[in-house]
Amino acid sequence: MNQVGRDIPRLEVRAKVTGRADYTHNLRLPGMLYGKVFRATVPHGRIRSIDTQAARELPGVYRVVTGEDIRKLIPEPYYGPAFHDQPILALDKVRYVGEPVAAVLAGDPHVAELAVQLILAEYDELPAVYDEVAAMQPDTLVHDVLRPAGTFADLKHLQGRKGTNVALDYHLRRGDADKAFAAADRVIEHTFKTQQCLHLPFEPHVAIAEPGDDRLTIYTSNQTPSFVRIEIARLFGWPENHVRVKVPYLGGGYGSKVYVKLEALVAALAMLVRRPVKIALTMEEQFYMITKHPTTFRIKSGVDKEGRLVARSCAVYWNGGAYADIGPRVTQKSGFTAAGPYDIDNVSIDSYALYTNRTPAGALRGFGVPQLVWAYESHTDLIARELGVDPVEFRRKNLLRDGRPQASGTVLQDAAIGEVLDALAVRIGWNKPFDRGSGTLRRGRGIAIGFKASISPTTSVAVVNVSADGSVYLYKSTVDMGQGSDTAFAQIVGEVLDVKAEDVRVVAPDTDITPYDMGTLGSRSLFHMGTAVRLAAEDARAKLRALATEAGLPQGTNYPPAEIFKKRYGMQAGNVIGTASYVPNYKPPDPQTGLSDNVTPFWMVGGAAAEVEVDTETGHVRILRLVNAADCGKPINPGVARTQLSGAAIMQLGFTMSEAMHLDGGQITNASLADYKIPGIGDIPPMENELVAAEQHSGPFGAKGLGESGTFGVSPAIANAIHDAVGVRITELPITAEAVLRALRVKAGQPLDDE
Amino acid sequence: MIPFEMVEPSSLQEAVGMLDPQDPAIRPVAGGTALMLMMKAGVFAPSRLVCLHRIEPRYSRIALTGSGELQIGAMATLSEVEHDANVAARLPALKRALRRLSNPRVRNVARVGGALAHGDPHMDLPPVLTALGARVTIVGPKGERVLPLERLYSGYYETVLEKNELITTATVPSLNGRKSAYMKVTLRSADDWPALGVAVSFKLQNGAIRDPVIVVSAATEKVTRMTSTEKVLQGAAPDDATLARAGDAAVAEASILADAHGSAAYKRELLRVYMRRAVRQALADDAQRVQS
Repeated sequence: MNQVGRDIPRLEVRAKVTGRADYTHNLRLPGMLYGKVFRATVPHGRIRSIDTQAARELPGVYRVVTGEDIRKLIPEPYYGPAFHDQPILALDKVRYVGEPVAAVLAGDPHVAELAVQLILAEYDELPAVYDEVAAMQPDTLVHDVLRPAGTFADLKHLQGRKGTNVALDYHLRRGDADKAFAAADRVIEHTFKTQQCLHLPFEPHVAIAEPGDDRLTIYTSNQTPSFVRIEIARLFGWPENHVRVKVPYLGGGYGSKVYVKLEALVAALAMLVRRPVKIALTMEEQFYMITKHPTTFRIKSGVDKEGRLVARSCAVYWNGGAYADIGPRVTQKSGFTAAGPYDIDNVSIDSYALYTNRTPAGALRGFGVPQLVWAYESHTDLIARELGVDPVEFRRKNLLRDGRPQASGTVLQDAAIGEVLDALAVRIGWNKPFDRGSGTLRRGRGIAIGFKASISPTTSVAVVNVSADGSVYLYKSTVDMGQGSDTAFAQIVGEVLDVKAEDVRVVAPDTDITPYDMGTLGSRSLFHMGTAVRLAAEDARAKLRALATEAGLPQGTNYPPAEIFKKRYGMQAGNVIGTASYVPNYKPPDPQTGLSDNVTPFWMVGGAAAEVEVDTETGHVRILRLVNAADCGKPINPGVARTQLSGAAIMQLGFTMSEAMHLDGGQITNASLADYKIPGIGDIPPMENELVAAEQHSGPFGAKGLGESGTFGVSPAIANAIHDAVGVRITELPITAEAVLRALRVKAGQPLDDE
Repeated sequence: MIPFEMVEPSSLQEAVGMLDPQDPAIRPVAGGTALMLMMKAGVFAPSRLVCLHRIEPRYSRIALTGSGELQIGAMATLSEVEHDANVAARLPALKRALRRLSNPRVRNVARVGGALAHGDPHMDLPPVLTALGARVTIVGPKGERVLPLERLYSGYYETVLEKNELITTATVPSLNGRKSAYMKVTLRSADDWPALGVAVSFKLQNGAIRDPVIVVSAATEKVTRMTSTEKVLQGAAPDDATLARAGDAAVAEASILADAHGSAAYKRELLRVYMRRAVRQALADDAQRVQS
């Protein structure tokens, strides 16, 4: 029976809905202490003193730990995937409000919480910088020295710099943009901005470290167990195999749980006190952990007389907050596609990762691409309007198609951009008349498409184990956080070995058992790990055949595995282990031109079309229809794939319409779900989700990643629809009702007061 | 959350006795939906909570009196009020407000008394019940007193209740043909706290508005009755011009505050618009009811 393409429910759903699924939050170890974090109250300052006496003296408190205590254990207690810039607890300086400064350990988490309130810290405050464009000037330096990590192959070129807040700058030069602008019929320029927002998985960050003799076991809600192992081992100067990282199911991740988050802190605390230590963040504390980059994007396009895009320049400023996290990679990888899915001969891209005194920013479902699509698809729509041509026709005319080089120089392959655009236009009825509303309720429609390069080069390793009765295990370090990866991999194994997907036991990540994987991020798992899983299963199949030959069974016959084992070993005994590693080819971009003919093993493509109704008296926007379409190649599990598409779109809808962290003097003023609003069930518009017919020829059974594609088009599709409805352009997210009413009033010549 | 003492008195009098007028760390808890949020956020750390779940069942009853008044026991859950046949038949604005008040899980737990006594200006029941002319019965160590609901609120999260007083009943008079509506404006998500609430009730006599009660909430420091706006409406036909004047009057009268929902300037525009929409809704709601 074919396993690939089957619409089976996710393998773990029953365990989840019956409450049997394991989560790190539920885990308690004997002798475990609870840690609570004391956080900085100033955005930038030198630590003058930390008074922990009252906290230490509170009955029930086991120990209070500061950065200096950790420095005695780990001389260089800095971590991070791109830069080793983040201290486990603040050292010398604090760089954002909410930065961990001390930790209290107690057997009762309530006691630890109370003790945290008894700690007093004094700071010599320093000037702070919050805005990404302002941070381009070296007036206020967040870091005195930059400390590149050199961990990942694609970030090896990072050089330590002084006297700047620029963690990474990526520059792409294709053709001659200046010359093309000079020759263009029209040159059109806009600036777009996005806000700071965050992931908010329903399971906040949580980690437990259990110490041994120069060994640690870490139980954590994390998307990158292999990286955590390597990074914790590096901090302690240990071999990899002294750190064991176990990850059960995640209650969502969305990029918030990549690389090291709480793990270094619990590891250091556990080694200091020689007892297991657990830290579980509250929902509110997530606002001080990791966020999505705010951006400013200046985009300029030149158009010739025929309405063809001849040049585009992009300057993107990424507000990375106080620590780089993976921001430099966001800056570079998204930089490749900042000019959009259009065939433009002359492109200039400048992309800057900046330090500021905010909560750090990292990866969030789309890895920077939603910020870019917001700008380039709003801009593209405005160009079409200025030229007086249909926005969909304008896109079609300029679309990047398979076989043509993308801005980076990499030739587009298996990227169904045109098909996605067509699907959106058909579903929304672009060429058909619709009710434009009347009176104070006006309707409009908008469309937007985007694409993304996959993170590269990255490695995945898989092991397939066939037991003597023919039952099958799969070992992999991909983390199933709700996206359905366990199910998809089981389907791939089942397809190769001719067993039902439901009968494949998928082993949860445990770095003592499951092999290396770069991480569950950037929609990479289905393509990378999926390929490794397919190859490992094929390896197992080949070895089963060899075993059959060894056992003297005639070639070309189809004995069940159980009989092969029995024949070979005389009883139900033995294993067949298939294994495979996969790492795609990659060519790093030229440091001068930013060009490379192989920046990605595959392209993600997604888009959205929206129909909205605007209340012209209040600015309220009602989304009447949202159509999402994406190219995920040939889906392994179409049902799960569609929920990835709709889930991503709903998440981006929140970033589009309501979610924003408000900052006042460096303090987040709405760090709670009461005042930071994610969409509720009442905010979900009628949606249609379409996977266009496509195939990723290099992917496992023609498939590729999809987790982020649904985010790409949502924001600009809605802004474009609002423009279509009422003739105003919103250039900054989120699109609040107030922003829309203010724009309407400016247009009417009756602007609202500021306050 | 810091551990605390929880007591469960079996009578109202016992409960009153367990409260302390001088100690803000001792508080009564009914449904706990608001208090628990404050405790989790660390803004309230009780030494003792006086749980009211076991007091006499009569304080949970919803009953119609002979004179057509609806008496709502303070310990009735919001969903009991929502699904009460008399509420549905006689107080459509209240029913409608409850349908959009938070979510069913909260409504199944939250109590009327808590929703009135909490003093959060964003809550829905205070404005709608104020516009409906409700009064509250309050019991303390010195006995019982009755207060019009509009006089309960003295400031942001502040009421005139002593710390050892409890609301026992909310009494809503018969509409007697009055038209009413409550409009709640949520901006950031459908289930958000309102940025603005406008509640109205009035009589319509010979095409003119009589005895209007206009209440604004959420955008103001406390639930506020808009007496100047009422004067603009008094005796006027509810036409476009009147409603525009009423909107202007409301904007002039209300002290609108900026917060995370939006600027004061924006909320003033909302008030102007929703003043008109609330009156229209009251008229339309009534027409619908006559048809059905």
